[in-house]
Amino acid sequence: MTILDDLRPYVPGLALLGGGALFATLLGGAVSGLQPLVVAVAAGVVAANTVGTPAAAEPGVALHKLALETGIVLLGAAIAIEELAAAGPTVLGLVVVAVAGGLLLSEAVARGLFRIGGTTPSLLAAGASVCGVSAVVAVGRVLEARGAALTFAAATVLLFDAVTLVAFPLAGEWLGLTARQFGVWAGVSMFSTGPVAAAGFAHSTEAGQWATVTKLARNSLLGGVAVAYSVAYAARSATDPEARELWAEFPKFLLGFLLVAAIANGGLLSSAAIDSITAVSDGLFLVAFVGLGLSIRVRELRSVGLAPVGVVLVHLLVVSALALVAVRTLL
Amino acid sequence: MTDDDDAERDAVAGTRLARRWRALDRGWQALCLGLAIVFVHLVIYPV
Repeated sequence: MTILDDLRPYVPGLALLGGGALFATLLGGAVSGLQPLVVAVAAGVVAANTVGTPAAAEPGVALHKLALETGIVLLGAAIAIEELAAAGPTVLGLVVVAVAGGLLLSEAVARGLFRIGGTTPSLLAAGASVCGVSAVVAVGRVLEARGAALTFAAATVLLFDAVTLVAFPLAGEWLGLTARQFGVWAGVSMFSTGPVAAAGFAHSTEAGQWATVTKLARNSLLGGVAVAYSVAYAARSATDPEARELWAEFPKFLLGFLLVAAIANGGLLSSAAIDSITAVSDGLFLVAFVGLGLSIRVRELRSVGLAPVGVVLVHLLVVSALALVAVRTLL
Repeated sequence: MTDDDDAERDAVAGTRLARRWRALDRGWQALCLGLAIVFVHLVIYPV
């Protein structure tokens, strides 16, 4: 009984996410060419910015990030390791160059061109280069950044998450990219994991898988980036060993993704099991994308300052342009 | 042992489970949930 009591606060929010996912499935099925995942995000944005999310639903809605990460773990079942290994070194090279180059570019643009001081340039650089808001928070914790700087940087990243979520699928179609090219391009250029996966799946299932895998490779660099920043700012505590800090920032669900990919590619899962797991993964993505839409508040995004927007815009334009050339040439 | 004792023991177990679950990093939670779902599929759809 007590477990039910523990679950009770989450029921309204989960019902809201489930209702949104059902609506997206029905509408996506009824209108040809309309992706349910795109409808899920749009429905969430409209609901959050018109009627708002009821306070009782907040705890359940907050589980959308867990749904996204669990969906990514299960996505491992649909990944062909041979294909991944073939493109792996190229994609990994692209990711490392984009993250390292993106960090240096944002720092230089923020401090040199826009004259932003303090930790804000580093927060913006981490958010734009690695993995969105979670990178802002992780690097902010390492640098002991002020709450206002954190909020500012996170809001800037969220603004671009919202814009790129719409712009990238449109650009991908206009540019005539293949599913793999588009997935890797979005995975290298966009910011937070949810919007990257959503944009990828808005293009096609294959693009969604490539976008997610590429983004996971970027996310795995967060620990290293956080340690590099702590060393650069000389703010690292002497009692906190590097390996521990690296591990603390490492996204653990990535291990689950690799484990499930190994299980599936090891022949332990029947094709019926893989189909069913993929369906569960799709369902979790739908729920997660409704939650992602619900977390986008247009009014809050309007309050973002011009200088951080300028920094992140330069970063996005340069990195996405170079990444586009790279994916077209190499993949 | 009375029904009340059973209820109390169940309540503590449930609370403990929930507390342990909430203490986990979200990445670990996703990993556990994902593997649990795969395990269920291994049982339902054997190779």
